[in-house]
Amino acid sequence: MAPDASNRIDYRSRSFVQRLFEPPRIGQMAPATSVLVYLVLAIWTAFVMFPLYWVLITSFKLPAAVNEGPFYLPFVDFTPSLHAWKSLLIQDWEDTLKSFGNSVIIGLGSTILTVGMGSMAAYALARIQYKPKFGSILIFVVLLVAATVITVAAGADWRVVFAIALALFYLLVRAFSKHFKRHLANGDILFWIISQRILPPIVVIIPIYLMFQSVGLVDTHIGLILAYSCANLPIVVWLMHDFFAGIPIEMEESAQLDGATRLYIFWDIVLPLTRPGLAATTLLTMILCWNEYLLAVFLSTSTAQTMPILVAAMNAGDRGILWWTMCVVIIVMIVPVIAMAILLQRFIAKGVLTGAVKG
Amino acid sequence: MTNPDIRVPVTFDKVAKSFGAVKVLEEMTLTVQPGEFLVLLGASGSGKTTALRILAGLETPTSGRVLIGGTNVTEMLPKYRDVAMVFQSYALYPHKTVAENIGFPLKVRGLGQAEIDAAILDAARQVQLETLLERYPRQLSGGQKQRVALARAIVRRPAVFLMDEPLSNLDAKLRGHMRAELKHMQHQLGITTIYVTHDQIEAMTLAHRVAILEKGVLQQLDTPKTIYNDPANLFVAGFIGSPPMNFLKGTLTAGRFDMPGGTMGTTTGASLPQATLGLRPEDAQISTAPDAAFQGNIYTNELIGDHSLITAEIQGQMLTVKAPKDFNGAPGDPIAITAAASSVYLFDASTGARLR
Repeated sequence: MAPDASNRIDYRSRSFVQRLFEPPRIGQMAPATSVLVYLVLAIWTAFVMFPLYWVLITSFKLPAAVNEGPFYLPFVDFTPSLHAWKSLLIQDWEDTLKSFGNSVIIGLGSTILTVGMGSMAAYALARIQYKPKFGSILIFVVLLVAATVITVAAGADWRVVFAIALALFYLLVRAFSKHFKRHLANGDILFWIISQRILPPIVVIIPIYLMFQSVGLVDTHIGLILAYSCANLPIVVWLMHDFFAGIPIEMEESAQLDGATRLYIFWDIVLPLTRPGLAATTLLTMILCWNEYLLAVFLSTSTAQTMPILVAAMNAGDRGILWWTMCVVIIVMIVPVIAMAILLQRFIAKGVLTGAVKG
Repeated sequence: MTNPDIRVPVTFDKVAKSFGAVKVLEEMTLTVQPGEFLVLLGASGSGKTTALRILAGLETPTSGRVLIGGTNVTEMLPKYRDVAMVFQSYALYPHKTVAENIGFPLKVRGLGQAEIDAAILDAARQVQLETLLERYPRQLSGGQKQRVALARAIVRRPAVFLMDEPLSNLDAKLRGHMRAELKHMQHQLGITTIYVTHDQIEAMTLAHRVAILEKGVLQQLDTPKTIYNDPANLFVAGFIGSPPMNFLKGTLTAGRFDMPGGTMGTTTGASLPQATLGLRPEDAQISTAPDAAFQGNIYTNELIGDHSLITAEIQGQMLTVKAPKDFNGAPGDPIAITAAASSVYLFDASTGARLR
């Protein structure tokens, strides 16, 4: 059939339905679509924001206003009061500040430790091929078990036993590792690291508590920093490994030829190039530490009490749940996280790698 | 300014490399003269880049030795070999300015800032970059990035230059320009240079000598002129030359080459049941003589500009001839082609070896 003028699509004579359901131009949404999209987004936003709104208004309520029933509109339903804020920030400011400070110290300390160690480990796994031999691993495990049994059963000094075990391990590996054929590779090591996150933390919390108790780490900042670092290290290694593996290796090879050491290359070339990834990982680690509850509730009682424990403590008094003060603590806890997210988002948005190789 | 002090020889002594079961480089022995511009030419997978990376110290050979300036560097860390490498991808540091990129090798070596700045300016001048020193790589064009990579290589005056297809990311016009500049620069600096490429034009124009690699085996090492005029085997003969050499299959009887639709005398006296005759398009002529060597029909007629390329079909085999630009033959027309006996190359079709 030959095309004639009546078959052509005419932009100007579209029907009302077409105008409603077709995008008016390239890159825009159809009117009907955009109404639907914004409607869904509005409902979702309300759903997500409502708890935050509830926390905010509750922090300005008097105990009476909380107990009398659901009121949502300040000045209309209830009269806002600074009562809860005053009691927390003026009367009990020492307690609040202590918990806040603990959270900051533990969060920062653990994040620095975790991101520092984790990114170095991840870089090594991305660039150096390791071949841990099955036989060597077996020797290690056997010696570890033997040393533990001897320490516990015979009551020997653990330092002596483990020094001997370590020396034995070194000698045995030196002597036999050449004869071991089967080995693991970097992928296995990575999986081993991430697999430590598969266990539910509640399973290991009692042994950790006992260990910490025997070395005097319970309710100390260092104790929590170490515990959080162990818990978050797998995530940092896993995330950073992908960022490092994505860097074109020629840059590092070129630097190597120019005489740079591995550490120099890592510090001067690799880290700046992964800055967005590093920022994202840092943010995530910080938030994980900031929000952590389970380890904190077991490993801190008063000296090292963090913000989540303070929130939970509002539930523990003999006066029932103190919703109003709890909400104040929650807001104090949320604000730094939002600030961090906004600050670091700038880093993440910047594409540092553009123009690295090729033109 | 030529600095004869830094001219060093480079030797590959029976260097072989395998990745697992894959042999990338078979025992290769090759010596690069001090100050020489040597091109390693080969298709992808020929082992040329592996050879370069072994020399740089980015790979270790499975067997054999590598010597730079008489020193065995086979197991030596890259930084002690005093080589500089230009990568195909340029490998510029995107978070550093042009000046910082160029000065990096000196900064790593802990030179004073004043000394570094002077060297940066000197190197940048040589590649006409002195006005772009404060820019970042992402703000540069491909050709400018290439210059930064070159400046970074020359800034510390290495003993050996290594270049891994440095021009292949540039467009054709810029490539020709940079090729000339590279050659000029190498001549001026006099630094022993090993240059890897798959581009025969680059190899022919840049090199003092060309080493042709195929499947990890060194095929021929000689000057571009000798390689073109006196190829060692069928592979080299077919690899070098554009348009490529014609190969005709036939038999050789007491020095006479016979194939369906063609026969000609050669300078050898050999006999071989399966022979290949090689004839460069520019060495063949269109003939009107009735007893011309090859008789066939025109297959295509391509006008290149200053000449035409006529491809003739001779009983199933194709033969391309370089003809004057005003040659007016239409596809299907009968055509006769001759060549001087001294201008043809003969090969053993089964082994690819040259018959002389």
